[in-house]
Amino acid sequence: MGKVIFQLIIAVAIFFLTWFGLSKADWINTLNVKQTTKTTEEKLGDLFWEIYNKAEREIHRKKIINPVDSLLSKICSENKIDRSTIKLHIVMNSEVNAYTLPNRHLVIFSGLILSCKNEEELCGVLGHEIGHMENDHVMKKLIKEVGLTVLISATAGSSGGGQAIKELAKTVTSTAYDREMEHEADLSSVSYLINAGINPKPFADFLLRLSQETKHLPKQFFWVTTHPDSEERAEGIYEFIKDKKIDSTKVISDNTWESLLNYLEDEE
Amino acid sequence: MIRTSAFTYSPSEHETEKASNSYVMSLVAVMAGLPLPIVNLIATFIFYLGNKRRTFFVRWHCTQALLSQISLLAMNSFGFWWTIGILFYDETISSLYISYIITIFLFNLTELIATIYTAVKTRNGIHVEWWIYGALTNLICKP
Repeated sequence: MGKVIFQLIIAVAIFFLTWFGLSKADWINTLNVKQTTKTTEEKLGDLFWEIYNKAEREIHRKKIINPVDSLLSKICSENKIDRSTIKLHIVMNSEVNAYTLPNRHLVIFSGLILSCKNEEELCGVLGHEIGHMENDHVMKKLIKEVGLTVLISATAGSSGGGQAIKELAKTVTSTAYDREMEHEADLSSVSYLINAGINPKPFADFLLRLSQETKHLPKQFFWVTTHPDSEERAEGIYEFIKDKKIDSTKVISDNTWESLLNYLEDEE
Repeated sequence: MIRTSAFTYSPSEHETEKASNSYVMSLVAVMAGLPLPIVNLIATFIFYLGNKRRTFFVRWHCTQALLSQISLLAMNSFGFWWTIGILFYDETISSLYISYIITIFLFNLTELIATIYTAVKTRNGIHVEWWIYGALTNLICKP
């Protein structure tokens, strides 16, 4: 028995010494690990946006972009998030939808803005999508569903890469995040709004309202249908803010909000 | 790490084949088991159960093959779940992780070479005892 224990101690010592010795090397820089991941995300984001940009009409009108940008900037500045890293795209589409692409592309459909009753509701959606970005949900979802190897080969332009990218693009916008990620993004959004002095309750109202409306119009309300359990999520937000003291300040004036909706309707 | 020695008796052709197969089984299981390390252990354990009533030489080598898989299972499982944590959760790739993966790769490679060597030797009727596992098997497996 003593022989076994002695040999075991020697073997364990060899294992840990090997591990310890190897860990002294800077593998991250030697193997260029972070840069590879970053490049993959950047390439994916740009490729996805390229595909969507061909299919959708992006709105460039300043009178529409600026109010949304003000809301986004307010949330970012009050939460120490670098606004310049987020690529905001407003797309002319009547579907109630918004999504985040890799490399911090935030896409909002005009239909979603028009379905918001006030700026707080839109801020909630913006905060939710920023929550997905900040928590790295997009890449996690893609890696979970298709695997890192597929992602890297798709961006490397190997054979069939073009088709693969289109399929991946569908995956990133048409499938839901898991419940845990949605909850995390919701709570992030609520925290961002509270920090920015924006009332998060209308965001919960928005979720509740749309979840009821989707019962009749499922295909039109993508943001809710791809975000399951909206009622439950709204309840979660009500519960989260129940005992919190919340300031309620306006980022843009009521007139600017109304003008935004009018300009969007004109665009349609 | 590995030493050949005389066994208590001279095994027959049939015994050396069975004993050698216990190592071959662990090799096949390694290929099938990647990336799920538990598969190797299950396959070797089933083979062990199927042969535990056979002759001493066969039992001895089945036991050694099984024991060698247990330590691999522990090392590989830790690496496997660490990788899952990085891919799906908040763990990040670090030099410590990469060095762990290299370490278990080296240990797996060593075990792979030892397994092939032992499979060939036992097939020829030569008794091979591994570092730790040989001594441990001598404690567990009695004639």
